[in-house]
Amino acid sequence: MKSIMIDLDACNGCLTCTLACAAAHSRSGSIVGAMQEKTPARIFIEAVNGRAVPVTCRHCEEPACAEACMTGAMRKDSLTGLVSNEGHEQKCVGCWMCIMACPYGAVTAHPRERVALKCDGCPGLPQPACVAACPNRALRYEEPAFFAAGRSRDAACSAAQAS
Amino acid sequence: MVRHLIIGNSAAGITAAEILRRLDGRAGITVVSDEAEPAYSRCLLPDFLAGRKTGADLRIRPADFYAGNRIDRVSGRVLRVDPRSRQVLLENGGCLDYDRLLIATGARSAFPPVPGLSGPNVTGLRTLADARKIVQLAGNVRRVLVVGAGFVGLETAYALYNRGLEVTVVEKMPQILPGQFDATAAGILQRDMHAEGMRIILGAGIKEVLTPSGFLNFFNKSAQGVLLDNGDRLKADLIVVAAGIRPNVELVQDTGISTGRGITVDQFMRTSVPGVYAAGDVAETEDVVTGRVGLTPIWPNAVSQGKTAAWNMAGQPRPCSGSLGMQNAVEFREIPSIAMGITQGGDPGLEVVTAGQPGQNVYRKLVLRDNVIVGMILVGDISGAGVIGALIRKHADVRKFKDDILRGRFNYGYMLAEMRNAG
Ligand SMILES: Cc1cc2nc3c(=O)[nH]c(=O)nc-3n(C[C@H](O)[C@H](O)[C@H](O)COP(=O)(O)OP(=O)(O)OC[C@H]3O[C@@H](n4cnc5c(N)ncnc54)[C@H](O)[C@@H]3O)c2cc1C
Repeated sequence: MKSIMIDLDACNGCLTCTLACAAAHSRSGSIVGAMQEKTPARIFIEAVNGRAVPVTCRHCEEPACAEACMTGAMRKDSLTGLVSNEGHEQKCVGCWMCIMACPYGAVTAHPRERVALKCDGCPGLPQPACVAACPNRALRYEEPAFFAAGRSRDAACSAAQAS
Repeated sequence: MVRHLIIGNSAAGITAAEILRRLDGRAGITVVSDEAEPAYSRCLLPDFLAGRKTGADLRIRPADFYAGNRIDRVSGRVLRVDPRSRQVLLENGGCLDYDRLLIATGARSAFPPVPGLSGPNVTGLRTLADARKIVQLAGNVRRVLVVGAGFVGLETAYALYNRGLEVTVVEKMPQILPGQFDATAAGILQRDMHAEGMRIILGAGIKEVLTPSGFLNFFNKSAQGVLLDNGDRLKADLIVVAAGIRPNVELVQDTGISTGRGITVDQFMRTSVPGVYAAGDVAETEDVVTGRVGLTPIWPNAVSQGKTAAWNMAGQPRPCSGSLGMQNAVEFREIPSIAMGITQGGDPGLEVVTAGQPGQNVYRKLVLRDNVIVGMILVGDISGAGVIGALIRKHADVRKFKDDILRGRFNYGYMLAEMRNAG
C-alpha cells in the first residue's frame, strides 16, 4: 500500500502542503476559500532547530489512535489502509484519547469543533493533496519499499513506535 | 476447527473477537456476556446521563459487526470456568465448550463498606443499565451525592449537574482526581467545578447512610441523606457511588487460575492455566513505568490487551507492549488535561520539573529518572501528548529535549531530525 513518504533533506518549509491540505478539506476546494473558511490543515511543518520538518499521519499498520478510540469512530479501513475518524457509523466525540495515544503527534484537536483532526489520506484523489502540491518532492506517495534508502524515515519511525 | 470462547463483550472481548476473525477465517468464535446490548462504550455513559447520547449512540461497532465477522453471541451470565472439562457454566444451567478461552469480564463498581449504602436510590455507574436507572431516578430527585472524586465520579457529577440537579461530591482524599493528578492540576480543575456551581467536599468519608427515619432521629428533620465521618450531614435523594472498581474474577475461583486483585497474566495474556487467557480491566499486567504488576483499568489498555490475547490465541505468539497508566480528564469544562505514569515526585531518585501558569489553567509537569521521563501531567494544552507517551514507553533519554518538552515546544519532528542527523 502506498503511503506518504517524507524526504527531510528536500523540505524547505514552504508550507505549500499545509495550504493544499486545507484547500482539499474546505468546502470551496480552493486555498483562498480555505483561508476564508478557516479550514485547518492536517499536515504540519514543525521548526526543529532552524530546520523544517513535515509531520503527518502514517496510517499505521496497527494505529494506536484507533486502539485508544472509545467510540469506534477512529478506524483503519481494511481496503484502503487509511485511518480516519470521519465517515463511519460511529462518531467522534472529541475525547482526545487519540491525541494521548498517537506517538507521532499527528492527531490534533480541531481549533473550533469538538472533534479530533487528522490526515484522512484524501480518499478519492489519485494522491494526497499535500503530495501533489509539494514543489520540492519532499513529500511523495510511494510504496515504502521503493522509497530511497538512507532517507531515515523508517529508522525514525520504528524508534518512535509506541509498541 | 478451533473454538474460541470469549467471556465479555466490551473493549477487550470485542477487539479480541475481531482480530481472531482477521487471523483465522475458519475458527469458531463465540462471545458470551451478561449484558444484552451490542458492545457499547462505558466511557460514553456520562454523555448518556447528560442526555447528549442515546443508548444506540454508544455502540462501538457497526450494526452488522457480529454477522459480518461470523461471531456467535450468547447472552448469559457465566458462573464458573471449568478448565479441566474446557467448559464454562452459565447461570441458566447451560454450558459452553471451548478450546481456547478469553476472560474479559472487566470490573464492576466497588462499594465501600458503609452502613446503609444500598437500596433503590444508591447505585454505581458502570453499565448502561446503571445509567438508565440514574436517568429514571433523576426525574424525581433534587440532590445528588457522588461518592468519590475520581474520574468517573467527576464525569457523573458534571453530567447530572448539566441535567439541572444539585450535585455534591464527597472525596476521602484531600484533592479531587487523587489517582494520577497532583494537587496543582487538581486545583485547576476543581476551581472550574466550583465556578460551575458544584459542591466538593474533600477529606471526608461517608460514615453512614441515613434513611428518612434515621435522619429524623438524628437531626429532627425528615429527609434522607448521609452522615460524614467529620460529623456533618448532607441531604441526598440519589447517591452515585464512584469509589473505584473491583475486577470480576469470581468465575475463576478455585479453578487453579491465579489471581491477585485481578487475574494474573504474562505478557502473552496467558493465565496460569493453559488455554485460558485474560485481558482488560479484569487482568493484572506489568506497568511499563513502575514494572509493578497491577490493574490498569482504562479503555486503550483493554483494547491493546484484547489484541495481544487474540494473536496468541490464534497461535501467533506476540508479547504485549506493556500497560501505561493514563488518565484523560477532558469533560471538565474546557480545560483538557492528561496524566500518565508516575506523577508524584517524592522518591529521591526522581526529578520533577514544572512550567505554566496554574492561575490561567495552564500547567505542565514532567517526572524523570536519570533523564528518562516516567510520568507527566499536561493541563490546558495537551497537543502532542502521545509523543511524550511514546518517550515514556521507550524509556528514551531526553536530556537534550527536556526543556523543549516542558515548554510544550517538542514534537515528533525533533525525533525525525535526530534520526536524520544520526543516519
Ligand atoms: C463511566 C465510565 C467512564 C469511563 N471513562 C473512561 C475514559 O474516559 N477513558 C478510559 O480509558 N477509560 C474509561 N473508563 C474505563 C473503561 O470503560 C474500561 O477500562 C473498559 O470498559 C474495560 O473494558 P473491558 O473489556 O476490560 O471490561 P468491561 O468494559 O467491564 O466489560 C466486561 C464485559 O464482561 C461481561 N461480563 C462480566 N462478568 C460476566 C459474567 N460473569 N458472565 C458473562 N459476562 C460477564 C460484561 O457484560 C461486559 O460485556 C470508564 C468507565 C466508566 C464506568
